[in-house]
Parts: sequence; structure tokens; C-alpha cells
Amino acid sequence: MAFAQRQLLSSALSPAAPPRPRRPVSKIVSSAHITEQSGCSSQITSSKEPEQWNRKKVFLLSVATASGSAVGGGFVFSLFSTPPPGSTGGGGGSGWGGGGGGGNGGGGGFWSSFFSALSPPARAEEEKMETGAGPEWDSHGLPANIVVQLNKLSGLKRYKISDIVFFDRRRGSTFSSSVDSLFEMVSLRAGGVYTKAQIQAELETLASCGMFEKVDLEAKTKPDGTLSLVVSFTESTWQSADSFRCINVGLLPQTKQPDMDPDMTDREKLAYFKSMERDYRRRIERSRPCLLPVSVQKEVMEMLGNQGKVSARLLQKIRDRVQKWYHDEGYACAQVVNFGNLNTREVVCEVVEGDITQLSIQFQDKLGNICEGNTQLPVIRRELPKQLRPGHVFNIEAGKQALRNINSLALFSNIEVNPRPDEKNEGGIIVEIKLKELEQKSAEVSTEWNIVPGRNGRPTLASIQPGGTVTFEHRNIKGLNRSIIGSVTSSNLLNPQDDLSFKLDYVHPYVDGVTNPRNRTFRTSCFNSRKMSPVFTGGPGVDEVPPVWIDRVGFKANISESFTRQSKFTYGLVMEEITTRDETSSICTHGARPLPSGGLSMDGPPTTLSGTGVDRMAFAQANITRDNTKYVNGTVVGERNVFQLDQGLGIGSNFPFFNRHQLTITRFIQLKQVEEGAGKPPPPVLVLHGHYGGCVGDLPSYDAFTLGGPYSVRGYNMGELGASRNILELAAELRIPVRNTHVYTFVEHGNDLGSSKDLKGNPTEFFRRVGYGSSYGVGAKLGLVRMEYAVDHNSGTGAVFFRFGERF
Amino acid sequence: MAFVMAREWLGIRQFPPATQTRLIELLGKLKQENVSTLTILVMGKGGMGKSSTVNSILGERVASVSAFQSEGLRPIMCSRTQAGFTLNIIDTPGIVEGGYVNEQAIGIIKRFLLNKTIDVLLYVDRLDAYRMDTLDKQVVKAITDTFGKTIWRRSLVVLTHAQLSPPDGLNYDDFVARRSEALLTYVRLGGRLSKAEFQILPNGIAWIPNLVETIINVVTSGGQSITVDQKLIEGPNPNNRGKLFIPLILAFQYLFVVKTIQRSIQEDVRKENKSLWELRDIGGG
Repeated sequence: MAFAQRQLLSSALSPAAPPRPRRPVSKIVSSAHITEQSGCSSQITSSKEPEQWNRKKVFLLSVATASGSAVGGGFVFSLFSTPPPGSTGGGGGSGWGGGGGGGNGGGGGFWSSFFSALSPPARAEEEKMETGAGPEWDSHGLPANIVVQLNKLSGLKRYKISDIVFFDRRRGSTFSSSVDSLFEMVSLRAGGVYTKAQIQAELETLASCGMFEKVDLEAKTKPDGTLSLVVSFTESTWQSADSFRCINVGLLPQTKQPDMDPDMTDREKLAYFKSMERDYRRRIERSRPCLLPVSVQKEVMEMLGNQGKVSARLLQKIRDRVQKWYHDEGYACAQVVNFGNLNTREVVCEVVEGDITQLSIQFQDKLGNICEGNTQLPVIRRELPKQLRPGHVFNIEAGKQALRNINSLALFSNIEVNPRPDEKNEGGIIVEIKLKELEQKSAEVSTEWNIVPGRNGRPTLASIQPGGTVTFEHRNIKGLNRSIIGSVTSSNLLNPQDDLSFKLDYVHPYVDGVTNPRNRTFRTSCFNSRKMSPVFTGGPGVDEVPPVWIDRVGFKANISESFTRQSKFTYGLVMEEITTRDETSSICTHGARPLPSGGLSMDGPPTTLSGTGVDRMAFAQANITRDNTKYVNGTVVGERNVFQLDQGLGIGSNFPFFNRHQLTITRFIQLKQVEEGAGKPPPPVLVLHGHYGGCVGDLPSYDAFTLGGPYSVRGYNMGELGASRNILELAAELRIPVRNTHVYTFVEHGNDLGSSKDLKGNPTEFFRRVGYGSSYGVGAKLGLVRMEYAVDHNSGTGAVFFRFGERF
Repeated sequence: MAFVMAREWLGIRQFPPATQTRLIELLGKLKQENVSTLTILVMGKGGMGKSSTVNSILGERVASVSAFQSEGLRPIMCSRTQAGFTLNIIDTPGIVEGGYVNEQAIGIIKRFLLNKTIDVLLYVDRLDAYRMDTLDKQVVKAITDTFGKTIWRRSLVVLTHAQLSPPDGLNYDDFVARRSEALLTYVRLGGRLSKAEFQILPNGIAWIPNLVETIINVVTSGGQSITVDQKLIEGPNPNNRGKLFIPLILAFQYLFVVKTIQRSIQEDVRKENKSLWELRDIGGG
């Protein structure tokens, strides 16, 4: 009997790693397990002392998201299976019985089977009893090399069995234990120490298991005081069959076999067998069809056809085959419990597939005790695949899916999905989901010192600035996964008004109700941001252009509806105030350009619509993303289309009315079919990308489309090619896998479609940019970093770039 | 348009009598056509002799000329009256700087020209500059962008520094014809010049009356004078273009873009590769 090796890759959620407002998930260290302990054991009831056959499988499934890692969450699945010690047969699963109790009676034998949930300590005891006692055993005290009948052994001694030999009486041959599937029927192990009672019990078990018509145990004394056990048997056989049926007897009540009165007359016996037969037929009728596909059924039929008589070993093979299919497909709790209808033309294989009878969701506190959770159950229930609901057959894949889905809620530090045999309902499975909730409220203050190079490039005392971030978070409000996250950051706490950035987010999922399958989330946020405008960037050969900073402060509210994991539709309203500032943080109204004389020409393109350097506007924003990309051996394949629309409403400075739209189409074309699976090489992929942006109506410079940059046309600086009203970008990239990364070559082109002049002040021309440009190059992916050599086609020169993340 | 500071054209007296007579005659002819004001805008690259041309026409040193550096950073307008006729000549700074068209200079010119009417544009270039390059194109384009294509219907190309010996023993007239043709090609490229007169008489012929005559011919032969107003200076406001169509565009985007993408998402959902265990599920929920 085996101990369950319960390995839990655990995981204290570090409360000191509070999520950053933007990426709450990536900061959470979580781990989750799916531990399957199917004590899926069947018992042979005719024996007085139930012998338990345990099969222990621990599926460990852990999710560990490294704190602060940029990788995002990665799932690690691992599967451990611990077979009973010493077992050689892979499928050493269920106790198995065969044979008709009534010999020629026609009706099959019935075994009741049940799943027993064993608590580890109980098993430990058993273990001790069976194999325990270590080296202490008693010598048989008999002359060597004599055959001793079992009942001649002393009941007080503890015998050591040094060897077990099987003797097939029908074939007249002896074979060693480890080669035959029959071996797994015997729970005695060579090298073990047993009492007489135990050996006798074993014999009884064997006799009644149905595999053997006749079975005998003999002990042979050995000179060293140990015993060699000889199991001589005659295998049970039944008349040949040519058809096969597999039924799910999962939740059928066990039929009680009325005891056969030995004093029955022949007539009574006949009636008894008939009633049994009738009962069995009814049982078959009531059973559910099973999941076993036709192909496997055919395979089994072939096995039946090849063999004349149905033998116990054949049945065992069939059982192994059937169970193998179930376990390969993830039905971890499926067991073949019985073969019925033997001695007829049809072999009926009774399977308990593992029907889910109950789904229980439990919350645990930090110590692992069951407690009341804050999260409302429907929030969790809607994440579960319907295959985990009662009435379905438990599948490990569904469990994994549930685990992933629940993990993506980012509410729990520990998630376990655990199938457990249902004591009250034989053959049923209770799916237990154990959750450890994360702290609802958290706050964090982090500080840092910035040393700014002063004059002469050397830091001075005055240039040491304390900076810091204050973050607070209230998650899972009302148990409905609503959250408020706020953060304030300043790089100079002594003078925070200089660059205070703040963000306040409120997320309200399940707008249509938790039970409604429609998945819409309401989000609102207050934000500010400061970015350097790529519109005011010089072209090649232009001296440093004084930068223009775009400060935005605003409020945003939107509703986003998820269709699939990646495809969604978002629509909402944005209100913001845009202030354009120059290097000295004072408001500027026009871009500037250095003159050859050394002065600045201050009459560049206007930075704002109003011309005052401050714009206020409200507009509607919509974004629809269709993304069906998926990973094939670690590389992205599929299609992604994004359409984004900003519709001005005529509210704000100068009554801005505009329609600003962007369409992005990216295709990842798999160039070669490859076998999918872990460790297999990814296919070569051709990436085609097109991006069109355009605007009709009022277009301030900060909303203009810019060309050039790592996400536009590689090989150029941000905005180096121009800023315009309409743009078109085309790119192609060929990715070829090399070892466990890939190299790529790309061609890109960006064009302003002659629309630079349609932007007020023509910043493209003002800063002497070309308005279009192509580039090509090669690169390699080194972990997260892309290293690429890109040739700028306008000047014909190349350069090496290091970039983070993906271009597409 | 009344210009306050219109002075008597005194410089005309310095011309030889024949020239004077001819000029007065020409202006009289213009007056017969009910034109009492003539505004001439002189533009061109730097160092081409714009200011010198202006000085020559007026017979005064109104614009300072220096051989080695650009002078006029601001446009200058000189108004002279002669017998009830007003002649305005606007001298502008060179609009090329550092190998690029100087938008700043153009901006200054534009602002200077606000609320003025231009009858004739003199585009000044050197005869002795042999080669034409993209810069000329850019200059022509800048002028077109500023004043619109119609300005070229009222333009003259003036080639200065004509006292050169043509290279390779070319005939002077030949050389001049070719040079002007080359320039005109560029002007046509940039501005679709439909009409250009060419007036330089190097062989001691008094050229000023000829120039003025040509100017007058251009003025009388049709074409609209260009009135420079706020709108012209700022150019057509691209922000206003197509604004009326925005509702239509929006409807189109909703019906044909958003809906299409939504449909393909639904298609994706339908076609999503379900694992076997999901498909095999037969249990009753």
C-alpha cells in the first residue's frame, strides 16, 4: 500500500509584493495545485477481510508567477504518479475480479466496488502491518527444501518470503513473478515478512477474485530460513465472445446479490439465475453510454476475436487497454470495475468513469483551515468549465482549465482543484476547490533616491533627490472582484509638484450580473501622464530639436466586453486636459527649431488646437480587438485585428470635432506544420503587418500619427520620418526557429500618404523630415531582448538596436 | 487700397529721357485700363539680386545691397506715385537658408503681405547659375503653397547678373533661352507656370522700360490679382476639411469595420479548437 506522495509546490504569497497598478497579476506570487488522490480502489466483497487495492496518483499542477518578473505568468504542469511499491504492472489499479460465482450459471459475478477515501494515517498503519517490522522475521525452523502446506505453518511466526513463483497448472509451466500480469493480483511481495494469517487471507483473496478457477499456495522451505511461495493456479476461462460493450455504471446503485441458499432445488436455482440475468439486463439498460470511442472498442473486439476463450488474462488486458485510454484522455478517476455477462457472446465492461456528484468550493485561511470566504461563489463558478459541474465526468484537463481561469482572477494566493471520492454516493466524485484568498486591502510606500548628474557631470549633494511611490489597493470589494487601485509617484518628494504622477482606477466586473454569461467590465480611471512628443523631433541632419512634453490629466470611463480570452470590445468616454510644455516646464504653444545662427525659430507648428498650449476635450473612444493567436510550441500563430476609434464630440477648446481611426492587421502565418508538444521545435512563421491611421477633422499635433520608431518603422528614431494626418505602415517579418529561440529578418515601410501638409504647421516639413521611409534588417531574439541590425533605407546606413518586447 | 506713405517717384528722373518717356507712356496706358495701382512682389533665393532689381526699377537706393551678405531680413515695400499712378514694389528677403526653404522667412513675408494685393510676382534668379536643383523646385513649391497656383499666371521670371559670357562659345541668346527654359521647367513642375516673359537686353538696351512694359502686359492680359488675406496666409485649414462627412464616416466604420470584426470574432468562437474532452462531454448539466 502506498503512501501518497503529496508534493505541493508551495508558495507563500508574499504580501510584500503588492501589485503595481498597471499589472496587478504579474506581481502576485501564487501557486496552485491540482492534487488528485484517487483512492479509486475497488474491493472484493466476498472476502471477509477486505483487501484494499490502492492506487495513488498525485497530479501536481502548480502555477508560479515570479514576482516582479516581466515574463508574466507561466504555467508549469507536472504530473507525478506513484505506483504501489514493487508493482510492476503499470495499470495496477483496481482490484479486479472475474468469473462467475455460479460456475456455469450464466450470470456474471458481481463485485461491489467502492471508492474509499483513505486518510493517510490509516494507510500508514496498514503499511506497517503489511511490510513493516523491518528485518525482524522468524526462521521457519524446518528442514530445508521441503514443501509445507499452508495450514502447517505456525500461526505465531513471522515468515519471510524470499521468492514467489507461479505455476500454471493448465500449461504446466512455472514462471517468475515479475513477467506476468497475474502477478499484480498477489499482494504478497518477495522479501516481505508475513504471518500465517496474512498468507491465508491472501489465498482467500486469490481464490475469490475470480481470476482463478483453482488456486493454491504452497510454501517451500529454504536453507536460510525463508520461505519460497509457490502459487499454483488454474486460470478461469469462459466461453468465447465476439462482441464487446462498455457501460458507465458510475452512479448505479450496487445490486445486492441475494445469497444463494445451498438448499435450493434445481428449479429454484434456475429461477434465481434467471432473475439475476434479468437484473443484469436492466442494469445495462439503465447504465449510461460510456465515453470509450469506437476505435478502442474495435481494438478490444479484435483482442476477443484473436483469442478463442475468454480468459482471465485477456480480461485483464482488456481492462488495461480500456483504462489506459481513459487515463490518457485525462479521465483520471475512471476505473474498470467489473466484467459482466461472461459466458455469453458479449463481454460487458463496466466502468466507473468518475461522475461528478458535487462541486464544493472552500476557502482556507492562511493556516489552511476552512473559513468563510469573502469572494462570492458565483464569481468562481462562472470561471469553471461546465465539464466540472455535477453530472459530467471528471477530467483532469477540465480541472486544469478551472485552475487557469480562477488564477486569472488574481484573487487567490493558492488554488487547489481536487477530485475526491464521494462517500455517500458510490462511484461519484466530489470536486473540491480550495482557495486561499489574497489580502483584500494593501498599501505600500516605496522610496528611492535619484542622483542626477549636476554640472561637470558629477552628482552634487543638491542633486540627490528622494523619490517614491505610494500605492494602495482595495481588491475584491463586496466579493465581486471590484477593485480600487491608486498610486502616486514622484521622483522628487521635496518638490512633488514638479512631477507628480497619479493614477486611480476603479474596476467593476460583471456589469450584467455575475450569473449572466455576458462578460462586461466597467472601468474608470483618473490619470496623468507626461510624454515627450515624437511630433517635435528633427529629421536627419537637424540639430537637437527642443523637446515638447505633452502632459495629460484626465478621466476615463469605459465598458469592455470580452468575447474570448483575447478578443474584446471596449467603448467609453475620455475627458482630458492636455498641456504642452517645453524643457523648462513652461507652457509652450509652438514647436521650435534651432536656426543655423544658433537661435531658435519659435514659430513652429502649433502644439495645441487652441493655440494657447492648453487644450481641454472630451471624446468617445472605442476599440475592438479580434485576436485568435495561439502558441504553437512557444511561437505565436494566428491573426490579430485591432480597430481603434476616437470620435470627437465637439466638446472642449475650439470645439474639437474629429474622427481619428486606426486599423491594425497582423497575421502570423505558420509556414510548416509541426507536431505540437512540449520541447518540440516551433514552426517558422511569416508575420505580415499593416497599420493604417487617419483623422478627419480637428487634429492637434499631440494626436497626429508619427512615423518611425521601434513600433512603427524600425531603424529610425521615434518620429524621425514624420508626423501626419494619415499614415500607412507595412511590415513583413520572417521568423526562423534556431534552437530554443528564433532569428528573424524584416522589411518595413512607413508612409505619410502625402498628408503631412494637412497637419497644421506641417511639422514633418518644419523639422525637415522626409515623410516616408523603409528599412530592412535581421535580428535575433535573446530571451526578452531583441537584438537587431536595421538598415535605414533613406540614408542607407545600418545600426544595431537592442529592444525589449515584441514588435508585433 | 490707399497707401499713406506713397511718395512721388523721384527716381524716374534719373533715367535717360527716352526711358522716362517710355515709362510714363506705359503707366498712362495702364491708367487707361483703369488701373491706378500696381503692386509688384519680388521674390527669389538669396543673393539673386532682388534688392538690386528693385533699386534699379525705382532708380533709388531703397533697399540696401551688399555683395557678401543677405540684407533684407524683413520685406520692404516702396510706394511711388507718378501722375496719379501708384507703383508699389515689395522687396523680400531671400527665402532660402542653409540649403532649405526658410518657412520663417516665408511666414514673415506672408504676414507682411496681409491685406495687400499682388498684381505681379517677379521671380528673380541668376542667369549665371548654370544648374537647377531640387532647391529651386522647393522654392517654387513654397511660393505656390503660399500664394496658390494662380500667382504664376501673374509672374515674371527675371534673370539677373546677365553680363556674363556664355560658356563654350554659345550664342548669348541661345544660352539665355536655354537657361530660362530650364528654369521655367522647374517653375512649371512646381507651379504650373502658364505664362512667362523674359526681358533682358544685355547689349546696352535700356531694360527697365522693357521690364515695365512686360509687367504691364502681364497685368493687362488677364489673370486675377492675388489678394493676400488671412485665409491665404494660413492656407486652407486642413482641420476643417471633410468635417461634414464625419457622421457618414462614423456610420461606415460602425457598419463595415466594427461589424466585420465582430463577425469574425464570432466565427473564431465557433471555430475554436475544442479539446476532445470538451467535445466528448455528454453529461447533463
